[in-house]
Amino acid sequence: MHLRVIHRTTFTYAGQAHDSFNEVRLRPVDDDAQRCHSFKLNLSPAATTREYTDFYGNTVHYFEVPADHRKLVIEAASNVETTPLSARPAIPRVEISDLERSAEREMLAEFYTSSHYVPLDVELWREAQDALAEGRSDVWGDVRRLGEHIYRRFAYRPKSTGVNTRATDVLKLRMGVCQDFAHVHLGLCRSMGIPARYVSGYFFNTTRRPREIEASHAWIEAYVPGYGWAAYDPTHERVADERYVKIATGRDYADIRPVNGTYRGPPTRSLKVVVTVREAPAPVAVATA
Amino acid sequence: MSILNPHYDSGAFFDEMFAGTEAAGTRPHYSRLAERLGRLPEDEFNRRRAAVDSAFLRRGVTFTVYNDTQGTERIFPFDLIPRIIPDHEWRRIEAGLIQRLHALNLFLDDIYHGQKCLKDKIVPAALILGAKHFRREFMNFSVPRGIYVHICGSDLIRDHQGNYLVLEDNLRCPSGASYMIENRAAMRRAFPNLFQSYGVRPVESYGDDLLKAMLHLAPGKDKPNVVLLTPGVFNSAYFEHCFLARQMGIPIVEGRDLVVRDAHVYMRTTAGLVPVDVIYRRIDDDFLDPTVFRGDSMLGVPGLVNAYRAGHVALANSIGTGVADDKVIYAYVPKLIKYYLGEEPLLPNVNTYLASEPLDRKYILENIEKLVVKSANEAGGYGMLIGPHSTKAECESFRAQVAANPRNFIGQDPIQLSRSPTWCDGQLEGRHVDLRPYILYGEKITVTPGGLTRVALRKGSLVVNSSQGGGSKDTWVLKGDE
Amino acid sequence: MSHAPQPAARAQATTMLSRVAHSLYWMSRFIERAENTARLLEVNIQFIDDFENVTATQLDQHWQSLVLSTGDIELFEKHYEVADSRTVTEFLSFDLRNPSSILACVYAARENARMIRDQISAEMWESINELHLFLKSRSTAAVWSDGPNEFFGSIKRASHLFQGLTASTYSRSEGWEFIEFGKFLERADQTTRILDVKYHILLPSATDVGGAVDTAQWQAVLRSASALEAYRRYYVREILPWKAAEFLVFSDSFPRSLHFCVAQVDDYLRRILGESGTRPRTGAARASRRLLGDLQTLTITDVLNQGLHEFLLEVQLALEAIGQEVVETTMFYPAESSLSDQQQQQQQS
Repeated sequence: MHLRVIHRTTFTYAGQAHDSFNEVRLRPVDDDAQRCHSFKLNLSPAATTREYTDFYGNTVHYFEVPADHRKLVIEAASNVETTPLSARPAIPRVEISDLERSAEREMLAEFYTSSHYVPLDVELWREAQDALAEGRSDVWGDVRRLGEHIYRRFAYRPKSTGVNTRATDVLKLRMGVCQDFAHVHLGLCRSMGIPARYVSGYFFNTTRRPREIEASHAWIEAYVPGYGWAAYDPTHERVADERYVKIATGRDYADIRPVNGTYRGPPTRSLKVVVTVREAPAPVAVATA
Repeated sequence: MSILNPHYDSGAFFDEMFAGTEAAGTRPHYSRLAERLGRLPEDEFNRRRAAVDSAFLRRGVTFTVYNDTQGTERIFPFDLIPRIIPDHEWRRIEAGLIQRLHALNLFLDDIYHGQKCLKDKIVPAALILGAKHFRREFMNFSVPRGIYVHICGSDLIRDHQGNYLVLEDNLRCPSGASYMIENRAAMRRAFPNLFQSYGVRPVESYGDDLLKAMLHLAPGKDKPNVVLLTPGVFNSAYFEHCFLARQMGIPIVEGRDLVVRDAHVYMRTTAGLVPVDVIYRRIDDDFLDPTVFRGDSMLGVPGLVNAYRAGHVALANSIGTGVADDKVIYAYVPKLIKYYLGEEPLLPNVNTYLASEPLDRKYILENIEKLVVKSANEAGGYGMLIGPHSTKAECESFRAQVAANPRNFIGQDPIQLSRSPTWCDGQLEGRHVDLRPYILYGEKITVTPGGLTRVALRKGSLVVNSSQGGGSKDTWVLKGDE
Repeated sequence: MSHAPQPAARAQATTMLSRVAHSLYWMSRFIERAENTARLLEVNIQFIDDFENVTATQLDQHWQSLVLSTGDIELFEKHYEVADSRTVTEFLSFDLRNPSSILACVYAARENARMIRDQISAEMWESINELHLFLKSRSTAAVWSDGPNEFFGSIKRASHLFQGLTASTYSRSEGWEFIEFGKFLERADQTTRILDVKYHILLPSATDVGGAVDTAQWQAVLRSASALEAYRRYYVREILPWKAAEFLVFSDSFPRSLHFCVAQVDDYLRRILGESGTRPRTGAARASRRLLGDLQTLTITDVLNQGLHEFLLEVQLALEAIGQEVVETTMFYPAESSLSDQQQQQQQS
């Protein structure tokens, strides 16, 4: 599937802002399930961007706006081609005990220990026990059941949480947005010893109603030995398919913040995020000599 | 009356000055000092002591104590009896420290690049990947000149046989070098003649050597600008920051004095923005740049980390060195020396148990009353239990902490720190000491001949930290053995 | 002895950080301001003592005008019901809500000094610290019971001690230029205010001009600027209002006159801004040159024709603009501007 994604973030300040330093993780990744054919970052005020690849292989662009400005617009435009689920390898059944014995497990330690947004408190472990009360199956089976549990037991409620809400807070609130559900899902998987990571990206909602929020999306990936990272979306209770565009992965939101920065000036500001994901025609293949 | 104590008892400890329990057996490298002290009347000794103390106060040689509601500055108590190290001992210490810093740098380079030591299972990957000071943001980043740790202060102690052991490494912002230099200045005033005859190696070139190590990081620059970045006047080591900046003849700056433009660092001066090439930073990683690390920090410089990443400024020490001075990683350093250098460690570690290893954990939990237990990421003697000197309740509390968060704790056999004669309550008595030498990595690795000898002034105490009742002594490294 | 040589001062060490210059400048200004507030209060309290037959209305006006000349009348009225010797003394000496009170000035000077303690001499630091401790140990009640002269005298002496210690212990480096620039800018401003008090107290009515009260008032004005003896040496004869004003505005040798202070401001400003040419490059240098030119060429008749108050107001505005420009171009650093972080939650349904 060919998708065209526009992600526009607008900060409007109560006065003149200056000395603004920002890092963004907005470029879709290239992997077995997707290819990013083009990516463009437009900034207003205009600024020079530099980039590097972070620990998790995500592309980070950074830039600065030293002069006074009342508004900062960061617009990322990308064309991505995704692979349908049917064309991807099947996720194998792997026993939990095999996961625990697997050779890769040691190197994945950071994905089954506490992280900033996902402190492995005992409540998360209890919740996971509760979700798997019927007994454990295989790795992927458990991941899915934990995700379904979140879908059923937590309410999607915008504005009930914020950018700093942790998994343990969400557990008490029983509500939140996709970022929160992903964090809880990570907590449940990790409590059960399953390595899991946070995925930041976009979802192409084919059945979108006009007033429904379009924003950046979040889901998770769990590690299945012999397969690699397998993606599940607890907000929609399904395996991430070709409608999903991945922009970054990490331990939790802290590692993948799509836009992260500081500025000097009035603390009061408004934030507007507009995301549009549309199906696009396949890019015309450029003939190579 | 001389100040030498005829009843001096070195007890069951290794004494720096006297061999055996009788005061008679003065070690050869102390004999001339003993002779001088033997001729020094007590009132004259006290006069010199008072003169030194008032000089410290006048010169503002102070440190700030946290957890103190008075909130304020104290002089670091200074003892007039020096700690003397003969040449043959120093050579071994020096070689051992150079070997160690060399291996630690290779380790850091490996951790932030290929992670070969994890793949070869020399160090458990989980320890590194879960470490608080592992800076994954700087994975695959090549630091200027390939040097991670430019300034290192390693704490050495001596066991009951007088063997030097490494107690810990300080690879982030080791402090105390200013006291090493100030202590020497005080001793030169108090005993001017003794230095001439004794053949004590000078420590005063530390500032110049430090500056050279910094300049080494800005190759190709005609006149590189080096600055010292301090958290500000409220920091406990502010005196030292000013002192070192003056010694090096470089500006001392706070975060708000620096600004990043187009990924280059500048300082704001009355003549406009002046480029900065090298930053000797005395701010921890977490506070360097609010944009990348801690958004709530006002100490740092927004954009600094990416200016560093772009290769436009050098930082000393580099970002992420804390992963190698972690108290848990410490236990692996002898293995790392063998792994990277193929050599046996010249300076051994203190015997250490890792609470993260099931067998070691069991041993720690069962023997906590006999052990020294330390938490991995606390410095300055906080977060530490000395089993044999603690109450049952204190041991219980640590036992629970270790069980709940084993990764964060290590246990060590209690070390009988060596003792050195120290002037206490009007007479010389043995007090426990350690030694922090300063190692610089510029063009090559060098160790300043001397260091900071810290002394636990309370009778029987093993805690030498200045914040917990410690004092210091001048450290004399001799050109010869007597 | 084998002392290693001290590293030679390197070129870059002479670069002065904006933050340090900023602290030196304000330290110096606040000490000078504290001293001038002390002078104003002392002289005016004495003036009231000298003339007990003034009416209640006159008295009230007198104290009001004193507050007015320091520029904080609204703040005063917000916190005090009546203007009398006690309330005005409290407000101008000890009230920390008033940023121009002596205590507030000394506190601010001390804070600035503390930030750069390693850059100034121990003597300078100790003298500011002692002044601060002295003020904290006093109160309005104590000032009145011990005699105000003693109190204000101590403040003036402390300020002179500080300035003397600065002159004798601080290197004549770039920092010195900021200290002096701040001091003379503040003093010039305060001299305009001392003169303006007279304007506020009483516009000379035909009957009073040359009368005993008027002479006494002008004497008080001169005393506020420690200028009485100097004036007498200069003019010898009795105190004439216009002569007193002329002296405080135009004298080129008395160190508190407007002309003298502005000449110093102009000199230090040109050094700070590197203005060596005959034609100024910066707005601040132009403004200071223009102001100095006025003070060199105008006569007291010109000033009185324009109106003394209007003239003084213009000078105050010019001084403020000069100070502001120099602060912005050489001493700026982000001290107060707040730092915020910005990010976004991921929240698609």
